[in-house]
Amino acid sequence: MTLSELSLRNAKRQAADYLVYFVTIIMAAALLYAFNGLVFSGEIRELYSMMSSLPMAIVPASIVVVCIFGWLVSYAANFMLTRRSRELGTYILIGLENRQVARLFFLENLAVGGCALVLGLLIGNLLFQALRAMILALFEMPYVFSLAVSLPAAGLTLAYFLLIYLLALYKSRKRIREMKIYDLIYFDRQNEEAVIRTGRNRRRMFALSIVFGIVGTFLLMIGNLLLGIIGAGCVIFFLYGFFLTFASGVPAFFEKHPAGKYRGQNLLVFRTLTAKLGTMGMVMATISLLLTATLIALGTGLVFRGIFDGRAAEHACFDLYIGAGEKGRPVDQAYLDYIEGNIPVEQSLTYEVRLHENNGVRQYLDDCGIEYFYTYRQDPVIRYSDYAALRAVAGYPAAKMEPGQYLIHCIPYLSEPLEDFRQPITAGGRMLAPGGVYTEHLIQRYAADNGQGYILVVPDEAAAGCALLHHAYAAKTVRPVGEEQVEELFRISNRIAERERGDTYDSDDYDTVYASVYEEKTAAYMTALTVLPLYYLALALTMTAATILTIQQLGESRHYRRQFALLDKMGMDAGEMAKALRTQFAIYYAMPAVPPLLIGIPFILNLAKQPEPEIMVGLSSPAAIVAIALGVFFLVYAVYIGVAYISLKKNVLPER
Amino acid sequence: MLQVKNIEKYYGSKNNVTKALDRVSFDVEREEFIAIMGASGSGKTTLLNCISTIDTISAGDILLDGEKISELPAGELARFRRERLGFVFQDFNLLDTLTVEENIGLALSLNHADAAGVKGRVREIAGKLGITDILGKFPYQISGGQKQRAACARAMVAGQSLLLADEPTGALDSKASKNLLEIMTQMNRDLGATILMVTHDAYSASYAKRVLFLKDGRIFNELLRGERPRPAFYHEILDVLATLGGDISDVI
Repeated sequence: MTLSELSLRNAKRQAADYLVYFVTIIMAAALLYAFNGLVFSGEIRELYSMMSSLPMAIVPASIVVVCIFGWLVSYAANFMLTRRSRELGTYILIGLENRQVARLFFLENLAVGGCALVLGLLIGNLLFQALRAMILALFEMPYVFSLAVSLPAAGLTLAYFLLIYLLALYKSRKRIREMKIYDLIYFDRQNEEAVIRTGRNRRRMFALSIVFGIVGTFLLMIGNLLLGIIGAGCVIFFLYGFFLTFASGVPAFFEKHPAGKYRGQNLLVFRTLTAKLGTMGMVMATISLLLTATLIALGTGLVFRGIFDGRAAEHACFDLYIGAGEKGRPVDQAYLDYIEGNIPVEQSLTYEVRLHENNGVRQYLDDCGIEYFYTYRQDPVIRYSDYAALRAVAGYPAAKMEPGQYLIHCIPYLSEPLEDFRQPITAGGRMLAPGGVYTEHLIQRYAADNGQGYILVVPDEAAAGCALLHHAYAAKTVRPVGEEQVEELFRISNRIAERERGDTYDSDDYDTVYASVYEEKTAAYMTALTVLPLYYLALALTMTAATILTIQQLGESRHYRRQFALLDKMGMDAGEMAKALRTQFAIYYAMPAVPPLLIGIPFILNLAKQPEPEIMVGLSSPAAIVAIALGVFFLVYAVYIGVAYISLKKNVLPER
Repeated sequence: MLQVKNIEKYYGSKNNVTKALDRVSFDVEREEFIAIMGASGSGKTTLLNCISTIDTISAGDILLDGEKISELPAGELARFRRERLGFVFQDFNLLDTLTVEENIGLALSLNHADAAGVKGRVREIAGKLGITDILGKFPYQISGGQKQRAACARAMVAGQSLLLADEPTGALDSKASKNLLEIMTQMNRDLGATILMVTHDAYSASYAKRVLFLKDGRIFNELLRGERPRPAFYHEILDVLATLGGDISDVI
């Protein structure tokens, strides 16, 4: 039998043990290819001028992903080397040279990697189609299925894979070449000597790490940035401290509470876990960190998506909107001339936003403790006739207002408190009663918008006495305003700014120009630029973490099988055995997932509240974002847990 | 205490039946120490597996304290094993992840014994078997003889009435074997343990009060030690083995 035949046979025999690893490597190749496909896709680049910068986000993410998968492959190769050291040692014993055995191991892994790459490219092409469809949907462009393979993307994937594999295999090759027969044959015993260390310092560290974990979580929950950072530091200390000392801490705990040790399945469950953590505490802590990064990446992606969606929804309600920044200055004629010459308009309106002399509503919102962005305190006001025309331009149904009433139009975020606002206001010397609250998007965020967060709609004569805040222009166009046209309007805005203020800068004095199509495209571009790489990272991180946990778990099948065969002989109930396995399994997978929840949830909640809380509503509300992030996180994790549990249960529990 | 009545055990399919046990019958009295001897493939381990309910019998009856164990349902069988039987295996079968104390305590834990009293009971039996000083160690930190004594302690700690030993000295050197056999004798004599030991080693068998010889699935002969000294009994066993034919080199 030649060396390559031997290698092939070994690879086949190992396949069942490392199926999860193999599938993950296939998915790694698929992920890398799919995202490389985006980097090289001309179609995606042409969607929008700024999409040419998409590679700037994808390539760094790919580099991080290559590092993560590199670690996974290196870990798996090392794990396999440990498990097969006796076999490899036997080859040397019967006369093969170290060099040949190293080559055998190298070829075998390269064969696995090669197969994974080929399968990965096939699946990757489908995944690329899914990503393509998602991006085209973001830009509201039609999608046509295609199976065209991108050669540059395949080439880059091959390069990434070579990098991943060659580095990992070089390490194990070097190790085998330097190893003595004795080391190989007794490699698996080396761990046994150091399974469980029970020093007093370790036990103290265990107790201390738990204290740090509790304090860290508490600090994270407070929501203050500095305390949050200290809290995260505490939780990371807890992670490593806990996982590295668990193996000595738990026995110490049971030493003090011996009765608890022998209750139910405690003994089996915790001893199995301590033995496992005794050898893989560092890996477990790192996995926990990877999962934390996953959850944060998922949450951050959702927060970004929420921000861009929220902005687009709020800013894209008019085909074209121009708010004159500087007080009292009308909408500049330069805009109107350009629009008249270049943009066919179906319906337009030039109007004024005024300021009420009081700030009753603003004060009420402040008293409610609601956080949202505003730069002036007085209540903004609009004439009912302008408001009615504005609704028509936006395509909204008419809003009714009875004589002697006022309306509130606000962003959805403020609808709940403002619906409870029942106080009358005085305008133009007349008392007005509340007539209702409307919450359609109306551009209500910055100084030159239709109010900040809300605007009061009052009868025309009542508005006459209010001071002018700014002029504005809104239009419904015959065709969507093009990218070029919006850019020209931006240029006009900049020229006005230079003319009016020279070098002094005040963002509140700038004109604002919003065009619906442009806003939507910008949101789509920003989403693609931030969310895709973050999800790409999140997926790679979870897959890597879950794969390592699963390899470890399934790699212990033989040990578990022996254990349960003995327990069966000793008369343990089948139900109790299944329960012990389930508990062991659940704790094993839950342990590295708990710290990410402790760090991730407060982090995401705070992040979602921080930058622009007023647009984070509905599916983008902080609670919804946490729920969705957890859902996605556990969905991927659960697939691995399910596969591992079914496989382990089948292989481990005695048959009846 | 234990009655084995005409048990038969077949393996294989219709066209290729192997008879592992062929109408085997014997009784074991309380506090007896019986050895079952025979060459490889004679059916010793099959017999032990059938008595321990790990394997099922094809015909016949096995009664423990008058109870037909061959008719117990699966759930009852598990209970029967953990409450009534103790096992000692050739390869020790201690769990690597548990200390010696925990390995012994496991038998009590499986029996849902009062958790608070486990430690005391483990210490008590460990004291009798001379392994108190290794209770805190893991199996890979102790010698084969110590492992086997720990296994004996586990087999008795929950008050099991019948100790089944399958080649208990098979993985031990001669000194450790002698030590273990003396411990087992002590367990039988002082602690009242009923022991059924399968072995193909005549020296080990000579520690028993009675030896059953199996050949091709049948009981071929039976020797009672009576009041004879152990070395004389040992020679008598060797004589029987010689008549079993051809297997002498296997059994010494």
